[in-house]
Amino acid sequence: MSASSSQALEYLELLPAQTHRKLYEQPSTALAVFRCMLPHLAKTIVMAMLYMTSPFTASDLDAWFRHDSKRERDKAISVLEQLHVVSARQDTPKHISYELNKGFGRSLRQALTGSGTHRSFGVPAQSTEERASIHFLDQYAQRQWENMLFYMVGSTVGLATANLGLDVGEGTKTLLRSGDFVRVTHGRVSITRTGFTFVLQEANAQVWSLLIVYLKHAPQLGMSETDVLSFLFMLGSLELGQEYTISTLSQTQVQMLEDLSAFGIVYRSSSTSSTFYPTRLATTLTSESGALSFSSTAGTAEAGGSLSSSGTSGARGSASKGYIIIETNYRLYAYTASLLQIAVLSLFTNLTTRFPNLVSGKLTKQSITRAVKLGISSSQILSYLTANAHPQMQKNNPVLPPTVMDQIRLWEYEGERVEPTNGYLMKEFASDHEYKDLVAYAESLGVLVWKNEGRRMLFVERLEQISLYLSKKKGER
Amino acid sequence: MNAIDGTDRHVKTDDRPPPSLLAIVLDTNPHAWAHLCSTLPLSSAISNLLVFINAHLASGNTNEVAVIASHTHKAEWLYPTPKPPLPARSRNGTSSTNGSNGTSSEDSNVPENPNKYRQFAVVENAILSNVGKLLNSTTESDLASTPTTQVSGALSLALSYIAKSALLHSPVDSLGTDNPLSALADSETTHQARETLTSRILIVSVSGDLANQYIPVMNSIFAAQRKRIPIDILKLAGDTVLLQQASDATGGVYMKPERPEGLLQYLMMAFLPDATARRSLVMPSAGGVDFRAACFCHRKVVDIGFVCSVCLSIFCTPELPSNLCLTCGSYLSLRSAHTATPALIPRKKKKKKRVGGTDSATPGPGTPAGSGTPVHT
Repeated sequence: MSASSSQALEYLELLPAQTHRKLYEQPSTALAVFRCMLPHLAKTIVMAMLYMTSPFTASDLDAWFRHDSKRERDKAISVLEQLHVVSARQDTPKHISYELNKGFGRSLRQALTGSGTHRSFGVPAQSTEERASIHFLDQYAQRQWENMLFYMVGSTVGLATANLGLDVGEGTKTLLRSGDFVRVTHGRVSITRTGFTFVLQEANAQVWSLLIVYLKHAPQLGMSETDVLSFLFMLGSLELGQEYTISTLSQTQVQMLEDLSAFGIVYRSSSTSSTFYPTRLATTLTSESGALSFSSTAGTAEAGGSLSSSGTSGARGSASKGYIIIETNYRLYAYTASLLQIAVLSLFTNLTTRFPNLVSGKLTKQSITRAVKLGISSSQILSYLTANAHPQMQKNNPVLPPTVMDQIRLWEYEGERVEPTNGYLMKEFASDHEYKDLVAYAESLGVLVWKNEGRRMLFVERLEQISLYLSKKKGER
Repeated sequence: MNAIDGTDRHVKTDDRPPPSLLAIVLDTNPHAWAHLCSTLPLSSAISNLLVFINAHLASGNTNEVAVIASHTHKAEWLYPTPKPPLPARSRNGTSSTNGSNGTSSEDSNVPENPNKYRQFAVVENAILSNVGKLLNSTTESDLASTPTTQVSGALSLALSYIAKSALLHSPVDSLGTDNPLSALADSETTHQARETLTSRILIVSVSGDLANQYIPVMNSIFAAQRKRIPIDILKLAGDTVLLQQASDATGGVYMKPERPEGLLQYLMMAFLPDATARRSLVMPSAGGVDFRAACFCHRKVVDIGFVCSVCLSIFCTPELPSNLCLTCGSYLSLRSAHTATPALIPRKKKKKKRVGGTDSATPGPGTPAGSGTPVHT
């Protein structure tokens, strides 16, 4: 599980059980949820239970896990329960057993064995027309996506006049506005805090963030969320460079295709065409390897060479990605000629020189505080720099020079000394035992933010699991 | 301000586990599978294995797999398929070349199946066709020549493939401009500093008696131990001392299922967790391990052996030709050691000695046995 899929996971967790059940009917969805949504240990548990004939008793599960990893186990089980993949069943008061969701288990088994006639992994089209090459698809995806990003960033950093071929669709603009990524005041586009978070993410995470906004607005457009989600998961399991027919898609999904091709996630030769191509943005939705990189230097050529073969794509991905070098004296060199990357960098860097394939500048207190005032956090800057570090930098551990990392944080902390966390304060516990028990549970879930033993108070980020736990305990008594 | 200290410097605590490479050595010894065909025929074993491979690939987006068949007279790549122009190199029974990523060449001829995840289809297709090819090419004379299997060759293939993949994954190599030799030299340090690839080997073994390959297998085990590659053993039939030692020495899983029909559940539960998950799981191990060695002269498993004091070769008999060690050629007179009955230390005494040894921080129980020529293990 990575940063990109964690926000998708958060979204998924909030869906009702009924939606989950409907989703899991499709083997491709079940497989995609398994592959990219579940934490690592949860996958292990699911796989162990997949071909088990009887429910997995809690005592067996305890025996299987080491004593010192109780916390990890609770976390994995809690995610599984929230996604309704696994449900706990109380046979007798002290005897709990876990059961795999029947639909999920069946679909995952079908996905692993390739059985059934669900046709959920996309029906390839048998066309005689000339196929679009992978290189072309990459270029298309990159152009569409960068256009959109540049639409967001360009005006803020004063590069609006530079022309990338501004043909961002009206639908996309509306979506960006409704997702609160940009704000339009007096006909001028300005980027918001969420927008910055969005721009600084890696490509894969960006796609997910945008799609989640899309999902949230799907009901308004008269689309069913389940349909949209299962189509997205299907897209993630398609093969790059292969043409697929739309004959098996539902009405909603055909409607979606139009929007998705505006983002560059799928390509259609015309809006009435009966086939579509997934681009790299789509095929990497449920995986991180070989994600499309947005550098106009050698990136696309190399990425185009690596098919979605599981083989070496990971290594190549990292090679084509990085372009930033930072020295301990805060100087920054970026091997790029892409306007978008330069625009993003200039959000928090004091750029001074530009060469045909290189820009250089310096991270200064002024530039960082300016970025912080715009709503960019230091951790966003650092994660962006880390993610795009030059291969030479990646040899270091930690990747960025520690002095630079600390200083960027210090600069930020100078401005803001209070950090808000939304959550719930729990107090007035009846007994010390009850309080300690709940603290331990909250800690094992990782939602505990603050506690005060003397006053028997604790503060948690999220309440759903805790309240479930409490009601379960009440039932026991 | 207090929030800033060196400990939270890792902004992106990457909780994503490193990609895991699973190298499977499948024992395809026809003699042994013939014995097993009533409970678990080879075909269903392979289909179970394919589901397991798919499960492994699904467990991590960057997970990789390599499958090697250890046949009676050679070790053969099943996946990835080696590239077609094979320079014929038949030495020591391992005739296949370096297992390069030949995935792209076979991508095109995989039938399109809308009910199957494409990545799975590619792997399955390659494995099935290669197994078929291997079985068809096996002649009767190959079968008659030996009843065992080339585990040693398959193990070395697996190890070399893993070493190559680890190099490919290390950040130094991805640059491509570095001198490959320098990368080779410090590959170990970079590999350990940042876990870029965790590998493990799974041996699905059906044949017993591998004593004739004692030396090469042991060497592979030590190589795996050094590289921290666990060797998991799934023993469907037969029993070998060697493989138990392999899993024990490398910290792998050893399992000898009582009911081979349930192969898939064994695989899913015990062998699927990778190194990251194993940290928090209780994994089955061999229990009592038989540490007996095989002698270098007749490849027999021995209870009492004679050890060359120079190169530590083990012999089952003191009657060496012209008193020279067979391995290193140094002078080695074992006759005198033999005439005096081997000094077997009584159990009680041994225990005492062990306690004393740990107290005085000497190398422990191995020392007293090593000093005398006869070894009792």
